[in-house]
Amino acid sequence: MGYANIILSLTCKRARAAFLLAPFILLPVSLLAADAQDTVTTICATCHGADGNSTDPVNPKLAGMGQEYLLRQLNAFASGKRRDEIMSAIIASIDSNDFPKLAAYYGPKQPSPGKVQNQQLAAKGRPLYEDGNTDSGVPACAGCHQSDGRGNARFPRLAGQHQAYTVKQLNDYKSGRRATDPLMTTVGKRLTADEIKAVAEYIAGL
Amino acid sequence: MTRHWLGLPIATLACSLAIAGADTSRIDWNAAYPEKTAVLGLHGDAGRGAEAFVICQGCHRVGALGRADGSYPRLAGQHASVLIKQLTDVRSGRRTNPKMLPFADHQVISVQEIADIAAYLQALPVPATQGQGAGNDLARGARLYQADCAVCHGTRGEGNVDKFYPRVSGQHFRYLLRENRLIRDNQRRNANPEMIGVIKNYTDDDIAAVADFMSRLPVEMVKQVP
Repeated sequence: MGYANIILSLTCKRARAAFLLAPFILLPVSLLAADAQDTVTTICATCHGADGNSTDPVNPKLAGMGQEYLLRQLNAFASGKRRDEIMSAIIASIDSNDFPKLAAYYGPKQPSPGKVQNQQLAAKGRPLYEDGNTDSGVPACAGCHQSDGRGNARFPRLAGQHQAYTVKQLNDYKSGRRATDPLMTTVGKRLTADEIKAVAEYIAGL
Repeated sequence: MTRHWLGLPIATLACSLAIAGADTSRIDWNAAYPEKTAVLGLHGDAGRGAEAFVICQGCHRVGALGRADGSYPRLAGQHASVLIKQLTDVRSGRRTNPKMLPFADHQVISVQEIADIAAYLQALPVPATQGQGAGNDLARGARLYQADCAVCHGTRGEGNVDKFYPRVSGQHFRYLLRENRLIRDNQRRNANPEMIGVIKNYTDDDIAAVADFMSRLPVEMVKQVP
């Protein structure tokens, strides 16, 4: 359990990524868990929290996300379809048989509310979220993710998500770096940088 | 939706060939092509269609009521045949619609889902809340509509499910305005050449008047028995 203690004692800052990754890669598979609870404790919780409500805004909250969505993303990281400097390395150390258990662990957790930091910006994001942008062909986010942002089996929960994470994902869709969903690629390409910031701020307050 | 649709208008095909000289990119407006034929032959399930429609409602709105600014049409209450034709036309490039195209892609909507969505939409209620025109030229609009439009779109704007003529009652004025201009100006590639011929000499004022009249047709539909 030495590794787990070391990992738990650290917060998951990207600057420490290389340091954090070493143990995962070196750790023998047998230690890495026979069951998903161990995987949660030793791996996932470090960044996402044991309750699925990460505190570092670059790491997404997983609590309340649909299990199907979480599983799809785990598989996407494992197959390389979705890439992230940290997740892509960590996923290799997790037994894919555990993916459904991890999704089942985090999906039903109670999501914590997000925090709007800039009310003006959030107010700008609201019409975009509710109505889209008819000039550029951005659909309303609410169409798929619902007005309250709770999502469903196919579309992830957005409500209360960290601004930094939402902004990064939308920018990654825009740039093509994240290509897990052709719809969102289109949406990302049609959003402006200002719209991305505004809608992420609004989403944090849902 | 289990009827056969293959006996499609031979007469209009001949007509489109006659007009084809004007625009070489023009296509046979209602050609039978594999995907459209396949969808028309499927049984659509309205319940599944309601789920699949979720990805459309970001633009077409909950209940498929569209927007009064004309940016997105109402789809509620439209004939399934028309919805299927237009959706498959958009995604096969027969109707140019770059905004919609990525959302109608094969990765997004399956052939079965098109049939399901159409079954869902055709049965939706159509409230009389559509956007209307200024109402200042309705006599002209009525005259033009009765003379030129009613023969296909029906005296109450009900369209014709078998002939793929859209229902126009309950539609937003601004959408009718835009599409009529596109059709007149030969910019809607999958438009019926008969209609282009009928309205090609319409002025902008004529089009505005007739679109305004259409936007005021009663939304209650007489049930069509195919």
